[in-house]
Amino acid sequence: MKGRRRSAAGPKIGLTLIGLYFLVPLVSTGAFSLWEGGNRYGFRAYLALIHQAELWQSLGLSLRLALETILVGLVILVPAVFWVNLRVPRLRPVFDFVSVLPFVVPPIALVAGLTALYRGPSWFVGTANYLVVPYVILALPYTYRALEVGMRALDLRTLTEAAESVGAGWLTIMFRVIVPNLSTALIGAALLTIAIVMGEFTFANILLFNTFAVYINYVGQTATTEAAALTLLSFLITWLAMLGVLLTGRGQAQIGGAR
Amino acid sequence: MAYLDLERVAKSYGQVRVLSEISLALEEGEFVSLLGPSGCGKTTLLRIVAGFEDPDQGTVRLAGTEITGAPPAKRQMGMVFQAYSLFPNMTAEENIRFGLKVRRVAAGAQKERAQELLGLVGLTQHRAKYPHQLSGGQQQRVALARALAIRPALLLLDEPLSALDAKVRVQLREEIRHIQRETGVTTIFVTHDQEEALSISDRVVVMHQGMVSQVGTPAAIYGEPANIFVARFVGAVAELPAEVVDGADGIVELFGRKVRAARARGMAAGARIHFLLRPETVQVGPAGTDGGLDGVVVGRTFFGALTSLRIQLAEGRGSVTAAMPSGETSRLPQGSRVSVSWAEDAPRILPQE
Repeated sequence: MKGRRRSAAGPKIGLTLIGLYFLVPLVSTGAFSLWEGGNRYGFRAYLALIHQAELWQSLGLSLRLALETILVGLVILVPAVFWVNLRVPRLRPVFDFVSVLPFVVPPIALVAGLTALYRGPSWFVGTANYLVVPYVILALPYTYRALEVGMRALDLRTLTEAAESVGAGWLTIMFRVIVPNLSTALIGAALLTIAIVMGEFTFANILLFNTFAVYINYVGQTATTEAAALTLLSFLITWLAMLGVLLTGRGQAQIGGAR
Repeated sequence: MAYLDLERVAKSYGQVRVLSEISLALEEGEFVSLLGPSGCGKTTLLRIVAGFEDPDQGTVRLAGTEITGAPPAKRQMGMVFQAYSLFPNMTAEENIRFGLKVRRVAAGAQKERAQELLGLVGLTQHRAKYPHQLSGGQQQRVALARALAIRPALLLLDEPLSALDAKVRVQLREEIRHIQRETGVTTIFVTHDQEEALSISDRVVVMHQGMVSQVGTPAAIYGEPANIFVARFVGAVAELPAEVVDGADGIVELFGRKVRAARARGMAAGARIHFLLRPETVQVGPAGTDGGLDGVVVGRTFFGALTSLRIQLAEGRGSVTAAMPSGETSRLPQGSRVSVSWAEDAPRILPQE
């Protein structure tokens, strides 16, 4: 009995320690963001932040980039993952491998490669739109995985053949049969992409675009309490995205009646 | 000319030959089953007709027009699959209307046709339900309605009942046959279940190792198997080794005894044969009955109305199975000595290879 009780306490202590490891810095950051010097605490840092036009500009830019990244990523990946699963499942390991490459290649190497490789019209290379290219690559592991799981849950071959047999073409199959049944996977992929793009610093900083993360860094170097406030705000955005993933993922056990 | 004409259709996957030059003709309105064990090529043949697979050689003609190589979407064939294949994001009615929508049929006509088919498969009150709200049997009915909605030139059923439980399976197969008669649509039904094939088909095509073993009416397939594979695969059969003694009179030697067998007439004396007995043709009487073969009951299986007795003959050199009304078997416990007989025209005779 004694041993069992001790073993039940073990995980709790472990979890508490891990919880503290995450919570203490957050709480400290929160407390610091409210500090107004001396013994005074209040929302001055937050108020100062929301009156800065650069904040809204950088936030707007990052959100726009996130949307573009989602769009480009899905347009490329939905047909690709569909095709691999339906027609060449033996290539799946290759896709799995490629999809995790962004984890292995350091962003700094990616930037160097990118600037050497991509030379295009100035509306593309000269503007923040250029960031969509590396962001699609960064989001690849998450987008690919979400789509792959979503498609495996469907009996793609039977659904496709059933649609074909009653006369549907490929576009109809894609947009009326496959995509509507992937809504959970698509939302998951989109929210994960938002979380990544909102927090990405290396590319934007090196390529000199003033995204949200770059702005946080800049504020951190100039106004410390405001940087703490901003950090918490950016966490909040990421958490909301994650919460969205969790909530939409809940119903996934029974997407329609495919079983 | 036949309605559907398959000519010397062959297909291999790598080194494996799945279909060897199959030729087959279906008349319009016919219900034909492709029956065989798994791996015999029946599903591949159906998929070639549907256009999901291309044959390596041979042609497929539908109503006189060659369709070999035409994409499935252009073939006007309704198909029901083994796996549940309804589109999960659409209601029963939307599933049925899908093929019509793709064909840009007017919305009013779509609705009308969907109502008609929902009525035909008996699911009118379930029209607004999604597939996951329907039972397996209901899903397959909707799938059948979806396949029929486009007024297909050919209805292809790929083991549509195999995922269902026994009672629903029997009920639905009767309904399929009824609906097929009502609509008159030419139908190919793939199954590995001989009872299913025999009970609903106009003709049965028995397939084995990528070849057609026999084509015929269910009665012919069961009663006059063309070869030992068909005899073994369709229905239960006892196989006894025998030899023709007198071809003119139809007399064979079975376990050292001379027995009359009408179907041995015309065979050469000395030919080694399979002497085949269906369980329902075997009569069991008290041991020592004149003209019977003596044996011992070594096994009993109760099936409700019928009980099947396994009877060992001639000191274990062969055995037969007799299917009898259960009430008559109470006096025949395991171990009883009995005598086995049959009508002269009951045994089927096939030459040994």
